[in-house]
Amino acid sequence: MHQYRNIFIDALGIAGLAALLAMVPVAGYTQTATADSYEPGRTPDGQPDLQGIWSNAVITPLERPPELADKEFLTEEEAIEYERRRQEETNMDRRPDDADADLRSAYNDFWWDWGENIAATRRTSLVIHPRDGRIPALTEEGQRRSDARAERRRLHPADGPEDRTLSDRCILWVSAGPPMLPTAYNNNFQIVQTADHVLILNEMIHDARIIPLDGRPHLPSDVRQWLGSSRGHWDGDTLVVETRNYTDQTNFRGASENMRLTERFTRVADDVLLYEFTVDDPDAFTESWTVQIPARKTDGLMYEYACHEGNEAMIGILGGARAEEARAAEAAR
Amino acid sequence: MTTVRTLALLALGVILTSCEAPLDQAPATDSQLGDQQPATGAGATGQAPPAANAAPNLNGIWQALTSANWDIRPHAAGHSPVPELGALAATPPGIGIVEGGEIPYQPWAAEQQRENFANRVDLDPEAKCYLPGVPRATYIGQPFQILQTADYVMIAYQYAGAVRTIHMNDPGPSPAPSWMGWSVGRWDGDTLVVDVTSQNDETWFDRAGNFHSDALHVVERYTPMGPDHLLYEATIEDPNVFTRPWSISLPLYRRVEANVQLMEFKCVEFAEEKMYGDLRKQE
Repeated sequence: MHQYRNIFIDALGIAGLAALLAMVPVAGYTQTATADSYEPGRTPDGQPDLQGIWSNAVITPLERPPELADKEFLTEEEAIEYERRRQEETNMDRRPDDADADLRSAYNDFWWDWGENIAATRRTSLVIHPRDGRIPALTEEGQRRSDARAERRRLHPADGPEDRTLSDRCILWVSAGPPMLPTAYNNNFQIVQTADHVLILNEMIHDARIIPLDGRPHLPSDVRQWLGSSRGHWDGDTLVVETRNYTDQTNFRGASENMRLTERFTRVADDVLLYEFTVDDPDAFTESWTVQIPARKTDGLMYEYACHEGNEAMIGILGGARAEEARAAEAAR
Repeated sequence: MTTVRTLALLALGVILTSCEAPLDQAPATDSQLGDQQPATGAGATGQAPPAANAAPNLNGIWQALTSANWDIRPHAAGHSPVPELGALAATPPGIGIVEGGEIPYQPWAAEQQRENFANRVDLDPEAKCYLPGVPRATYIGQPFQILQTADYVMIAYQYAGAVRTIHMNDPGPSPAPSWMGWSVGRWDGDTLVVDVTSQNDETWFDRAGNFHSDALHVVERYTPMGPDHLLYEATIEDPNVFTRPWSISLPLYRRVEANVQLMEFKCVEFAEEKMYGDLRKQE
């Protein structure tokens, strides 16, 4: 929603860059590599100060591309080349000669805000565990569930609003989560801390997660929510948030309603908040997996994203489907 | 508010843009600033009081106890707008929250309100799970949580997951109209004063069709009445719809039960049949 400074080094700050680059040779992610080199400020309540508006926009792919199968990190030169290529590929202001292709990119580049840089760690994927940088295979049960969903979508793409994706319905957004993942635009979230609560406000789709830090129990397991039930605590200077009680429709990357999510927020520089999450869901995945995103501080403000209130697309999608059926029925007569 | 208090706030670096209350009415409160306690949402008793010069701590989960969401004016009980629901959705009575009881509509607007009321099942933005706007969010019947820092006061409402940022450092003018508006706050003694502009014309004040235009200007005042009560006051100005400014006033109560929390009321799925049902595939 707002404009960023585009030079990553600028946003990151020299200290942050040094801290993050120090991690590169480390085989797996270790927190101490950064915690040792930076001391976050404190809130009036004495907590590590994570407050501000952060952006998860990053062009590092979630999963490692097959052509980089054995390569966990890019060199500096490779990183520059990767960013250049990616910016070229995703530039929606290009006008292909092929009219169909031209129409398919009908949105101008103005709309998109994927970010222009890879993660400062120069990792080749946001997934850092397992080591192959790929989301683990689904279990048999997880695969069956996923296949059933796909079949349902194929047979009933738009019978009613419930057949559309949760983002089409303005119920959940991938960048809001939890967990939060980078997507096409508005990858912004704000952290606000009081003595006993943390608010994580996502610009999309004005989701405000209020996380108690007072050690209270989770909601009863039969109370299910789209965003789950989140509880937090401090582990040194790291905010740890554990979330469960998802609905059976939340379906994060094939996860089941029994998904347990652990998020870790560590400020590793004034301008960098290291965001990590681990997905534990033996009902869906053959092993747990972990993602790491260095979120960048932004200077801009966040604005209201009233998704549902402006959801003319749902009317268009369902109305279009009914019109197609009517035309097919007419043709068959 | 007292000069001593104002100076103390200035000394703390709190920006006061004006020391004058926009409402010419002193809050009828038994303010207990010295007793203000950091809120935990679970009673908040036994906490150390903040430094004497600190702004009141409004943190916590609050809720209005009023039938104002059915009608902000004084009203008797009434039939449900949906007869099939019987007494389940009958309107509870209430003495209202409008000072003086009357909303000073321009004649055309009074007629518009009656039309809104007659068609409220179709027209009320709450029925569609739309963001509620200010001040309706305050008394819409579900709790809300205040998270207060020096730079921002965030208010998260359970209804529709609505949320607003009250900027304590003026961020400049609103870039565009929105459902929850553009809120800029300041401390006037113990009172949090919030100037709300740039709301769109889509929201209502209640289920009775009381409405406004996009010229709406709301000034809210949150004043502690004690550790577990706030006085909520708001002046409403809208020269397109009303003949003069008017105001509302109601107490807010702290939710004190153990482990109370905002829960999820993502009501989109509850509104889908109403909004898109006629576009479903007919078998």
